[in-house]
Amino acid sequence: MRKSLRSRSAIPYLLMAPGLLWLIVFFVLPNVQMISFSLSEGTLRTGFTTPPEVWNFDNYIGGLGRFSDNFRNSIVYGGLATILCFLIGYPLAYSIAFRGGRWKSLLLFLVIAPFFTSFLIRTISWKIILGNDGPLLALLRDGLGVVPANFSILGTPLAVVGGLTYQFLPFMVLPLYISLEKIDRRLIEAAQDLYAGPWRRGGTITGAIFGGFLLVALQVGLGYASVTGEDPTLAAAVAGALIGALGGGLVGRYLVSQSFVRVTFPLSLPGVFAASILTFIPAIGDYVNASLLGGPKTQMVGNVIQGRFLQQNDYPIAAALAFILMAAILVAIAVYARLLGTEELTGGTA
Amino acid sequence: MIDLEERIRTYPVTRRAFIQGTSLAGVAAFLAACGGGSSPQPSEGGIEGPLNFANWPAYIDLTEDETSSPTLTDFEAKYEIEVNYKEDIQTNEDFYATLAPLLGSNLDSGWDMVVLTDYMAARVVRAGWIEKIDAVGTPTAHANVRDELKGLDWDPNMDYHFPWQSGATGVGYNVVSTGRDLTKIEDLFDPAFKGKVTLLSGYPDTFPLIGLMLKGKGEISNFPADMTFDDAQKVHDYLKPFVDSGHIRKFTGNEYLQDFGSGDTWVAFVWSGDLASSGGEDDRFVYPEEGSIIWTDNMLIPKGAKHKAAAEAMIDFVYDVANAARLAAWIYYISPVKGVAEEIAKSDPDLAANELLFPGPEITAQMYAQPALEDAEDLKWADLAADLEGA
Repeated sequence: MRKSLRSRSAIPYLLMAPGLLWLIVFFVLPNVQMISFSLSEGTLRTGFTTPPEVWNFDNYIGGLGRFSDNFRNSIVYGGLATILCFLIGYPLAYSIAFRGGRWKSLLLFLVIAPFFTSFLIRTISWKIILGNDGPLLALLRDGLGVVPANFSILGTPLAVVGGLTYQFLPFMVLPLYISLEKIDRRLIEAAQDLYAGPWRRGGTITGAIFGGFLLVALQVGLGYASVTGEDPTLAAAVAGALIGALGGGLVGRYLVSQSFVRVTFPLSLPGVFAASILTFIPAIGDYVNASLLGGPKTQMVGNVIQGRFLQQNDYPIAAALAFILMAAILVAIAVYARLLGTEELTGGTA
Repeated sequence: MIDLEERIRTYPVTRRAFIQGTSLAGVAAFLAACGGGSSPQPSEGGIEGPLNFANWPAYIDLTEDETSSPTLTDFEAKYEIEVNYKEDIQTNEDFYATLAPLLGSNLDSGWDMVVLTDYMAARVVRAGWIEKIDAVGTPTAHANVRDELKGLDWDPNMDYHFPWQSGATGVGYNVVSTGRDLTKIEDLFDPAFKGKVTLLSGYPDTFPLIGLMLKGKGEISNFPADMTFDDAQKVHDYLKPFVDSGHIRKFTGNEYLQDFGSGDTWVAFVWSGDLASSGGEDDRFVYPEEGSIIWTDNMLIPKGAKHKAAAEAMIDFVYDVANAARLAAWIYYISPVKGVAEEIAKSDPDLAANELLFPGPEITAQMYAQPALEDAEDLKWADLAADLEGA
């Protein structure tokens, strides 16, 4: 009796053992190795001096200083891509969940369909779309004649953010869809019975503020290396804010109802949280889009880490940068969780 | 970065059928390798295959339909072994980075033959990562190698390397896009080409070429081989504003071929034969007025190669004059083999006068070697280049 109890209590550990072993071998050990590298000196060719002989914390300070532009690019592009994914993904997930009807499965399949081809092929196809012979420039340059003959979209922040947004859209849509899908419809009906009608005044004001703010954020984010080659001016920012405010106001006034604001959206917040984390983390660490679609000024910190590891063989700096990125992401998530205060993350029930 | 770009070879680039050709060659070689399986196959001469051969794009001859390579097909027929030919090298630095961790730990790199430029070949030979080439197995190569390629200080007796081809780095451009013929390095900085210019990544090609231009302006006093770190700093400082303004769109390896194909690049630093063999009909190469950079790419057998005899057979095979002439005639590079000029003149006098294969005296007088740097200096230069490349 006693013996069987004891062996039963060991079962959970036995079940966990393969997973734990996996994590120890492929996560903990490599990370220990990387921490040691990040405090070392030297390169692959000259040989490394590793702790405990040397504790080179300068890799962290120096790396952060020297590659601050790349960190800024990562945060700005990753953030913009997440916001754009949300703006595109939320209405999409909402339509599928509430209006999809019998097409739901097909529509969801279409969202994931691009994932059946490789990540690289998808990025390269964007190179063709945005490229010199691509459809976009054919329209802007040859059709409308609004840009000069040597105008390029490739190499600009716009291309990188566009690529990131496309790549990670399904990461946004799927969690949003799941959280929207499981909302109890009777709550919305109840809200409507209790006079939750169109959201006219509140919608106009909120929409205008958000829209204006967003367009300025996009301008600043994309503008500092600037698509047109000119520095963003105050007039352009004001014009952007006005256009954004107008668009946002119209959307808020005519497309958003009170039942959505008071019931549907709050209930979907856990999904919003999960979706933005799932989008932001891979987006901020990505280097493929910046490498293929960007130029020298749009390289992200992932590109530096990749280059330091694989081209310069400068493992210490690369490892230090990787840890800085990891820490930055963890801090960002902690702050975000605090702000959004979702119950799922803090252990409550949704 | 380049490692990823390299895979673009397998997607069909629009407009320029020629570039598809290079990618098809890769696919064909891949299919050939798959078809035969990869188990060792003893042949009559006792040579075991397959020969795992890493080379650069646009560096092998192709048949008219561009699905296979006569050189490789003939070699396979002669020795009854497969050649697993991969166009895996886009830049010396990237490929070195894939080799170094393995060879540095005495592990098999998986390649039986790789092709690296002089300065990188010298580095891996000095590191002791290269097998000695058996002179008994390579009589043709020893007999036919051009005299001026012998006696290099890092391998005076051809114990470790044989040249694959030599070539120049100069200016490539698409004459339709630029609307005019270019003649000099300074043409790259014409404001009309803003955003359509690419340079080569790393310092070994780009820095000496810009150095030659600055020397012409009197800002640098040394020729490329003697450039100092101060000179490199001047090159960096000259290029930086053009990178910041977006005039220079990108730093690339051999994948500039795709960008010429798609029209995203109009003007670039390129290697001499590539555009002639694999570019479009409007793509031109010019030896710039300021001078060009001359280099040699070398066949090397990495330490621990499983099919060393096959690699030696390949070295000897491509030093056969007829084989060398066929190869050079397709890829438009400078052959290291004696008698190729006469061989080509017999069949195609026009080609024998081509400056890409046989640069004339006024061009060779203006050809300069790349800087050969010690490790510490090399890292400093590489750091300058990395700063320009933004990562």
